[in-house]
Amino acid sequence: MPHESALAIAPWTLCVVTQTPLAELDDSALVAAALDGRREAFDIIVERHRRSVYQVCYRFVNNHEDASDLAQDAFVRAWKGLRSFKGQSALSTWLYRIAVNVSLNKVSAKRAPTESIETTDQFEDVRIEGAPQAILRKERAAAVRRAIASLPDKQRATLILRTYHDMSHQQIAEVLGSSVGAVKANLFHALTNLKKILGSEP
Amino acid sequence: MTHLTSAELIDAMEGMLIPERAAHLAACGACRRRLDDLSSVLNEAKQVSCPEPSPLFWTHFSHRVRAAIDTEPAESRNAWPSWLRWQVLLPFGTMAMILMALMLAVPRQVATDSSENDVAVMDTPAADSADALEMLVGWLDLETAGAAAVIEPGFVEQAFLELTSEEQQELARLLRAELSREKS
Repeated sequence: MPHESALAIAPWTLCVVTQTPLAELDDSALVAAALDGRREAFDIIVERHRRSVYQVCYRFVNNHEDASDLAQDAFVRAWKGLRSFKGQSALSTWLYRIAVNVSLNKVSAKRAPTESIETTDQFEDVRIEGAPQAILRKERAAAVRRAIASLPDKQRATLILRTYHDMSHQQIAEVLGSSVGAVKANLFHALTNLKKILGSEP
Repeated sequence: MTHLTSAELIDAMEGMLIPERAAHLAACGACRRRLDDLSSVLNEAKQVSCPEPSPLFWTHFSHRVRAAIDTEPAESRNAWPSWLRWQVLLPFGTMAMILMALMLAVPRQVATDSSENDVAVMDTPAADSADALEMLVGWLDLETAGAAAVIEPGFVEQAFLELTSEEQQELARLLRAELSREKS
């Protein structure tokens, strides 16, 4: 059971937290330790969740620099708001929510989708497939990214969390603060719109 | 039978469609085409990969987060130990004040019990209560009094039980010191 707040942690939990190496603690115990003044506990939280937080940010902005800035911002916000984490959902869900919010704020402020010069396929070896096929595949991937970037915020967030982070409808509802029904509706509309946009691509 | 709704199409795409509706899907070409369209666009979206940054990036990233947190204003950080927050101190403060009010009221009541004057027996505790209330109101500001009023029964005991033995001993020492100061 996730902890409710530092106040709700029993004394024996604090004893366990102080005696067990931080890396072996679960997320709720790490939050408790961080709230108890053990700053290095938050470092472990960052280490555990940095990849998923970075990736969700990347899906919104499609470039490494902005994604790393947003991920950093998400963790700083998480640190500042750690006391408000009530443990009603998993820490990862709470971090996803922060990451989605900072990403949506960013893309709302800068609506035009960005496509960096270091594309997602930068490390791929084109010798595996023919060069024309590789180019076509890259162009299609870029078209899909542009299409996703043009979706309304909720549809976009729902599609990203479901498709790339394999989250359940319930988890997505928790992240976005909506209902499971709304998540299904947003996913349906996101896919329908994506099909329309891709269908109109040259 | 009606065609699948958007939610049912999503359920079908994820293999969670209820059997009755799955029977309709098996028999309905229009619903199957809509499902195929959704599935194909979803699969196309899944093909778009996310690059993996270099291993060095992650170490650098952790340092960046730490440095960014270190530059946060000091007031946003928690300088107080968790057990010294108002959620803990307020109930104990309230409990201490109630204890002191009771201690002030009880001796005088015992004294008036020995009196032969019934009116005095009835009036004195009330006067003591008024004194105690006046004392409490004098000590509490409006905000604290308002907050004290919303404490649920058992909250003080629960909060006390959640302290470590050292914290409990320290609290007991503070209460004893306060009570002995009041007595003197």
